[in-house]
Amino acid sequence: MEGIVGTKSRLVWAVNLCALVLVLLWTFPTFGLLVSSFRDRDQISASGWWKAMFPAEASVQYRAAGPDTAKLIDGLYVIEGNIFDGGPGEVTAFGTSIREPGAHIVGTDVVTDDGEVVTVAGSGDFRISSTAPMEGTRGMRIFATSVTPAKFTFENYGRVMGAEGIGRAFLNTMTVSIPATVIPILVAAFAAYALAWMEFPGRALIVALVVGLLVVPLQLALIPLLKMHNEIGIGKSYIGIWLAHTGFGLPLAIYLLRNYMIGLPREIIESARVDGATDFQIFLKIILPLSFPALASFAIFQFLWTWNDLLVAIVFLGNSEDQLVMTGQLKNLMGSRGGDWEILATSAFVTIAVPLVVFFAMQTYLVRGLLAGSVK
Amino acid sequence: MKSNYLMGAAAIALLAGAAQAQDLKFEPGADARFNWDSFEALKSVDLKGQSLKIDGPWGGVDKELFESVIAYFEAATGADVEYSGGDGFEQRVMIDVEAGSPPGIAVIPQPGLAADLAKRGKLAPLPAETSAWLLENYAAGQSWVDLASYAGPDGTKALYGMFYKVDVKSLVWYVPENFEDAGYAIPTSMEELKALTEQIVADGGTPWCIGLGSGPATGWPATDWVEDMMLRNNTPQEYDAWVSNDMKFNDPKVVTAVEDFGWFARTDANVAGGSGAVGSTDFRDSPKGLFTSPPACYMHKQASFIPSFFPEGTVVGQDADFFYFPAYADKDLGRPVLGAGTLFVITQDSPVAQEFMKFLQSPIAHEVWMAQSGFLTPHKGVNPDAYGDPTLKKMGDILLGADTFRFDGSDLMPGAIGAGVFWTGMVDYTSGKDAATVTADIQKTWDSIK
Repeated sequence: MEGIVGTKSRLVWAVNLCALVLVLLWTFPTFGLLVSSFRDRDQISASGWWKAMFPAEASVQYRAAGPDTAKLIDGLYVIEGNIFDGGPGEVTAFGTSIREPGAHIVGTDVVTDDGEVVTVAGSGDFRISSTAPMEGTRGMRIFATSVTPAKFTFENYGRVMGAEGIGRAFLNTMTVSIPATVIPILVAAFAAYALAWMEFPGRALIVALVVGLLVVPLQLALIPLLKMHNEIGIGKSYIGIWLAHTGFGLPLAIYLLRNYMIGLPREIIESARVDGATDFQIFLKIILPLSFPALASFAIFQFLWTWNDLLVAIVFLGNSEDQLVMTGQLKNLMGSRGGDWEILATSAFVTIAVPLVVFFAMQTYLVRGLLAGSVK
Repeated sequence: MKSNYLMGAAAIALLAGAAQAQDLKFEPGADARFNWDSFEALKSVDLKGQSLKIDGPWGGVDKELFESVIAYFEAATGADVEYSGGDGFEQRVMIDVEAGSPPGIAVIPQPGLAADLAKRGKLAPLPAETSAWLLENYAAGQSWVDLASYAGPDGTKALYGMFYKVDVKSLVWYVPENFEDAGYAIPTSMEELKALTEQIVADGGTPWCIGLGSGPATGWPATDWVEDMMLRNNTPQEYDAWVSNDMKFNDPKVVTAVEDFGWFARTDANVAGGSGAVGSTDFRDSPKGLFTSPPACYMHKQASFIPSFFPEGTVVGQDADFFYFPAYADKDLGRPVLGAGTLFVITQDSPVAQEFMKFLQSPIAHEVWMAQSGFLTPHKGVNPDAYGDPTLKKMGDILLGADTFRFDGSDLMPGAIGAGVFWTGMVDYTSGKDAATVTADIQKTWDSIK
């Protein structure tokens, strides 16, 4: 008896541990992305995000002010400044040549080849002095090994949110995704009812066909569908993309809703029939309210898919200013060669906002709806 | 009544003129560096109410720059031109052309793609004057005409496109002050470059930063190296034969060029992170090694676009500069230059598209972009003083001074080679496979698609 109880608790522990590991596995990269979105491009390429929280030891180079700014003090030409520009940080070593960037300890006087005397203090204050007037057009480079505290920036968010045309792109995405979510649900609810509760020949075959359509990749239909749109005069327009999303979403919608509806108690529907209700009345008054969890869960799926979509939008909508969706706009922000990782990280968190609202608003239905068709 | 009407028209014209002038980056007639005559001449073309769509690979900053050029065409002719472009252009244009909703003009970075579209009858040929114009006005005009002439659907060869905006690839980037601190001089021949490489290693430094990583296109920077080495070891004719596969990919001459690249990239001490890091370093992160302290490397070979990946605040010309990737002094092959460019083709013929192609021949279309950034042109009729900064002018001089200009070979090869096994083969090569095996494998793939 004791042994059984022991195993049980150990099993629970194992399950909990597994769950914890899975949760960490899923959230860890997202957390990394979040940290990266607060760092600038040079920081991202210099060190990993896990180092972002700690003071960083780095080799920095600083360009002093130009020779023309030198002040004459007691017969010496002097340039002074701070290599952190007054910010926090500590210098541990410094140098005046790229060959030996950390050759001297702080506080020592170093004489350069040009006869200038350079010294750097631990706080980053430096002083360059020379008996002769300094020459050249550019300031001297000072190299230092320094420890600087962690630094984060909101600049990336400013860039993404303030980008030209982002508001317009947001509206465009909304114009695409809301009808592209509502239309397939309307059509699929009718179809699912018919396939679940109306008797007609070939019903099973149609269901099989719909399930079969789930397997067909949508990329296969891009060119023929756009060709058809061009021929019937829709072209690249919102109507076109609504139709496309509806078509691509229908198989899953019908399958999901039919499986849910067929699980509803037969007695309710039959008693309604006995009382003289028509199919339309049964659908409207009984099936639809009962299927709300399944409808909601499909709505979430479809909304997320249309919200995140780039390919279908680019093909069926075009990429001019007044048609470009948010994903396309963000992609343009990443630059011609796609090197701006920080923009990618930031836009991920900007675009995630709306789907999160939708998800939490309908979350309770999603959990119930996911069981749709699985338990009878 | 009539005079009233005329007054009204004049007022409207004035207002329209004022509105257009605001959109133009440089006020017409103000700056003497520009050929304003060519802008004034364009005003005789009236295209009011006509519109043109252009699709291309430029997004972000490049898009804004190109739009500033388009503004002059719109201001002069009254046409409405809309440029929409960005990443994923190659797929987009194929889908649009296939489905029957092509843009008016497409800006194509790979001549191979244009040749494919021309063969399927999806492009409108350019008038004969254009090729005569190119021969006369573009430096190395013949090579630009050849690159844009393809067989049409019936097999007759015709000019289908015009190059506008060119990149120079044979450049080595370095930090002048690092060279100064270390006492290195800029090499003027390949022998000197190799000697410098060895000297840097002997001094305890690392000479090169080489990064081939580029997502699904990983390996392409190595193809530029090999192409440059082909041009420095062989005649331009042999290069052309290699590109068209008249010379086999595993020809000893090609193997030599690949191994010449290997001399730099496959010696651990020559490359930042060792040769094992070459394939895995992203090409966008690679140049940053020039600017670290101590420097991760002293030199980086990359095309003229790379300054956009330098650390923020880097001043090109002062903090970083470039020199021409030199040729062998003892091989007598002149000064070959490897480059790439974007090709304008008409995907849907219309008067306004034809006029736009003519506009691209006018000096002003080049000068407006030159005066800003990131634009090089082989147009001999433009004022080189219009270049916005001395660095661009220096690159422009390399381009105009080239004895031989050759287009990026991997862009001319069939996609399965130039955007496929050539890339992956080079990654294999840098990670230790020998050159003969790699090139033989590439040739095998080429045989299979013939």
